Amino acid sequence: MTIATLQTTPIDTPPVIKQRPYNMRARVMSRIIMTLCYASAIITISALGLIFGYVLFKGFTSVFNIQIASWMSLLSWQGLSQAFSSMNLDFFTKLPGPPGDRSGMSNGITGTMVLIGMASTVGVPLGMLCGIYLSEYSREGWFSHALRTIVDVLAGVPSIVVGVLGYELVVVPMGINSAWAGACALAFMMAPIVSRTTEEMLRLVPPAYREASIGVGASKFQTLFRVVLPAARSGIITGVMLAVARVAGETAPLLFTALASDQPVIAYSSSFPWIYMDLNHPFPSLTVQIFKYASSGEPDWIRQAWAGMLVLITIVLVLNMAVRYVSRNRNIKVKA
Amino acid sequence: MSQDARSVPFYDQPRGFFRSVALRRTLDGMTTSSAWIGALSMVALLGIMMFVIIRGAWPAVEKFGFAFIWQSDWDPVKQQFGAWPVIFGTLVTAALALLIAVPISIGSAIFLVRLAPRWLVGPASFLIELLAAIPSITYGLWGAFVLAPALQSTVMPWAEKSLGKIPVIGALFQNDFGSGYNMLTAGIILAIMVTPIVTAVTRDVLRSVPPELEQGAIGLGATWWQATWVVLSFSKMGIFGAVILGLARAIGETMAVTMVIGNTIQVEPSLFAPGQTIASLLANQFREADTDMFVYALVYTALLLLILTALINGVARVMIVQVARRGKRR
Repeated sequence: MTIATLQTTPIDTPPVIKQRPYNMRARVMSRIIMTLCYASAIITISALGLIFGYVLFKGFTSVFNIQIASWMSLLSWQGLSQAFSSMNLDFFTKLPGPPGDRSGMSNGITGTMVLIGMASTVGVPLGMLCGIYLSEYSREGWFSHALRTIVDVLAGVPSIVVGVLGYELVVVPMGINSAWAGACALAFMMAPIVSRTTEEMLRLVPPAYREASIGVGASKFQTLFRVVLPAARSGIITGVMLAVARVAGETAPLLFTALASDQPVIAYSSSFPWIYMDLNHPFPSLTVQIFKYASSGEPDWIRQAWAGMLVLITIVLVLNMAVRYVSRNRNIKVKA
Repeated sequence: MSQDARSVPFYDQPRGFFRSVALRRTLDGMTTSSAWIGALSMVALLGIMMFVIIRGAWPAVEKFGFAFIWQSDWDPVKQQFGAWPVIFGTLVTAALALLIAVPISIGSAIFLVRLAPRWLVGPASFLIELLAAIPSITYGLWGAFVLAPALQSTVMPWAEKSLGKIPVIGALFQNDFGSGYNMLTAGIILAIMVTPIVTAVTRDVLRSVPPELEQGAIGLGATWWQATWVVLSFSKMGIFGAVILGLARAIGETMAVTMVIGNTIQVEPSLFAPGQTIASLLANQFREADTDMFVYALVYTALLLLILTALINGVARVMIVQVARRGKRR
């Protein structure tokens, strides 16, 4: 049995005349724009990555006060050990002081946490109540539409205007910058964000839950607190964490309200409440301290500003990643 | 036959903490009132804010009127205030930021949705959304200590020598001030801050397009770009809304701009001139305002910024709600 082979000779193949495809212009343009899109993505990712990397590196060396003479010194063992020996934890343990002294920003870190705590006690309940109203109690009429617009407008107010508002509202009557003013400004920023996310999360709870609960005879209160809210619990918590992360990084509201101070947050007194927190005077916070140091000209202070910034970024990013981790099964829009 | 709590057998009696109807009704009333209080408190917050800001600006509004917006002399000594330089600075930096950021963001969003390999989409989106959450002083620090010196030593002298000699647009590149803290740096920093937001929202908008559109285009023999163009035209409104969101962020941004813009109230055509935006004006000068009229004028600028931002946010909201509504109707 012979296998038939097709023996082609150059004479047998038909002549092929190469022509341009009819849509060559479209194809070329498509390629060009594709390249542009690749380029812009590369620009975005590399620019953001470079900034991020530089900031992390500079912050890391600044926090622990690692003096690196030059890049080359890191390559030798002696250089490495020298770098590490100059490292210290002053940043987290010392109070702000003159440049050159061993100083740090310990009161800033505690101060920011206290301010956020104070702001949350007012901002979170108000925001949650508004979110509950919008999702449970409102009929889709003009009022709920207007209320949502108002919440969006409040969420979009520039932070410096919130600072001016806090100044006019709290500092002027009180006569002095204080932690109360700072907390008010921060609460003003937190409430709309919490309201938006609470409403979104409550809407995600299937109406069947509410209907079933009412079907077995529960009142509105029971439905809300024993069925709906527990079902949306993790979503609401992520909303609160998002608001906290956003507010933790804000400087402008605190610039005119809480100012900054060099005093420790928790002071010791000799009589009954043996610890004491002075909320009626300018109050330290990490962000304002960073800004103050960075706009001074002192190299040591600038180093501390970088260090503070790393701590700030760490807090904000940890919170954001926690939000992402908790909400990984849902379609939550993480809007800044 | 009607039943009440007394006429049913023991096993159907209401039990538990909430067995009394009166208790449940009171609790219901309390939660309804609390929810109403929450809703009204938001309205009250808005009202308080408008009241306080307008009251704080009113003497300046009375004295300068609308001319405040286009007058240029900001002189605390002579108590004469005109806000045009800061409005100019705000608009110019925002325009610069959008000019740089919008093409790059839309290009990146198209890349993420239509060009990227599967394994890249997740991590890239994650990185971009993470960068949207970074506080603004970070960008301010980086801009002030890395970007400004770099621009000052490399780009600015070169641009002044080469592009500054071209007749008309050379005025954009005059470097009389010799400092890296200028409008261009502020514009670049704002562009970097705006890019993650616009990219993320545009990516979401592009993803919400029904796949039949691009599949239909490809079925008709479209090239990659022609199919993408169909998707883009469908999402025009949403992309516009994303850009407006970015604009709102750029206009309201305070700290990053304050640290790189040079803190000089002036109107100069050069990109390399230091300037001032409304937000940086407030951040730099509010605490040192000595006279009452100075404070009133500053609050007047805050009022202008507030109105501008509210308008822009309203427009963005209308655009994005339309996109959501269209998505729901399908």
